[in-house]
Amino acid sequence: MSEPKKYTYYPGCSSQASATHLDQSLRAVAPKLGIELEEIDDWNCCGASVGHVEGGTLPQTALSGRNLAKARKQGTSDVLTACAACYLNTHGVNEKIKNDVRTRKRVNESLGAVDLNYEGDLNVRHACEVLVNDVGLEKIKGQVKNPLTGLKVAGYVGCQTVRPFAATDTGGNYDTYDQPEFLDNFVKACGAEAVEYDPKTSCCGGSVSVYSPDKTLHLIKKIVQAAVDAGADVIATPCPLCQQNVEMYQSAINKEFGTNFNIPVVFYSQLMAVAFGMDAKKDAALDQNMIKPLKLVEMARKTAG
Amino acid sequence: MRTIAAAPAGSRTYDLNFARWVYQNVDGGDRLSLCMQCGMCSGSCPIGTAMDHGPRKLFMMIRAGMKEAVLTSDTIWNCTQCYNCVVRCPRQIPVTNILQGLATVAVREGYAPEQPTAKFAKAFWFSVKHFGRTDERLVTAFFYFSFGLVEGIKRGLANLPIALRMIKAGRMHLGAPHRAKGAADLRAIIAKAEEIEKRERAQGAQQ
Repeated sequence: MSEPKKYTYYPGCSSQASATHLDQSLRAVAPKLGIELEEIDDWNCCGASVGHVEGGTLPQTALSGRNLAKARKQGTSDVLTACAACYLNTHGVNEKIKNDVRTRKRVNESLGAVDLNYEGDLNVRHACEVLVNDVGLEKIKGQVKNPLTGLKVAGYVGCQTVRPFAATDTGGNYDTYDQPEFLDNFVKACGAEAVEYDPKTSCCGGSVSVYSPDKTLHLIKKIVQAAVDAGADVIATPCPLCQQNVEMYQSAINKEFGTNFNIPVVFYSQLMAVAFGMDAKKDAALDQNMIKPLKLVEMARKTAG
Repeated sequence: MRTIAAAPAGSRTYDLNFARWVYQNVDGGDRLSLCMQCGMCSGSCPIGTAMDHGPRKLFMMIRAGMKEAVLTSDTIWNCTQCYNCVVRCPRQIPVTNILQGLATVAVREGYAPEQPTAKFAKAFWFSVKHFGRTDERLVTAFFYFSFGLVEGIKRGLANLPIALRMIKAGRMHLGAPHRAKGAADLRAIIAKAEEIEKRERAQGAQQ
């Protein structure tokens, strides 16, 4: 295998809480794909989608400023993050620092309070974009030792993984905003079946679902219903908040709409870990899904045994 | 009874400088003047039905100087930040970012004390500021109890089953909040950024 490529990794807050299974499975499959992850030393929160409200625009921007300054101290490798919100904020701020002199000046004046500085000479990339552009499907296929034959997967991409950067030059032009194909391609590379699934980039309500689910349950219902109608065994997603919302609100949807949903929601990296013949718990972190992906667990067992 | 929401009502505060202020001070606001009212944004919004106005109309209200109506509108609070409108706007107006900027102004100027989003944002920012990271337990508890003790307990109990399932799945730890070692550094950076914004606002007011 060729030399691994090094990336400076920004795991984000969800990697220690609601999306530990994304972080764990990504770290597990990365070396197999020639990706070396070096964590940003003592990273902080990116502010997600609400930091600006109470904190203000510049303080929110400065949060990413500190992470980028710390990353730059570790070298010039591309910064990689797997979280949609972390990517949105960190990539967005990075481009602003690069292109907007005023923002660069203001962020650096803020960072100056603790003698940090960042001039905008890094690239910030989404893990999925790196998988598409740097790794490539052939390399993913090449690692598959336990093809997920017969597993039907609804590829649910969500919003911020592709919007607003996936079809921009700085975002790597890796897919479209409305009908992205990368997730289905990952699924197929793992030997599973990507079912026809329309609401690929429908919104799960994001953080509004976290604090006012009464306003957004119908959005999540649409996402789950389409997967069930397509006969999917699991829903796969790249986004921590999508994973959490679509998984944890199924019981509330059942109560509200009289449905009977109980479909597992996994990360693409969990699928890859199983397909690569890795450990169901240690690598694929399948024990961390609230709705157990039984079929996938069974497939993983087969390899381990 | 049918009401015409855009019609001026005597009690509403109008500020004819508001549009210019938004153009100059809200992030992305400089492109707002390019809006041609096509409605692509509101038509693309997944939660448009839960908004009183939607972005298209809100932008027209900004131009009409309806400051109070804009800053008390639930359109800025119910945005899920899906960025559909941003990638589809034929005039490349960063709609989501403008709504974010308006939310910041609404909180700072006291227009939105009871909005759940504003309450949640306060809880979230507390965690970021004190620990440098978001602790979901802390944010949720802070948020629930911002509605008062009784409501806090009620909401907490209602969500207990989910919390227990998260703990069981190993996605909610039981120890002290995760923190960045440099949380104090981060606070110093934030304080400086706040100071810069305050200074700029004061300069803007003098002009």
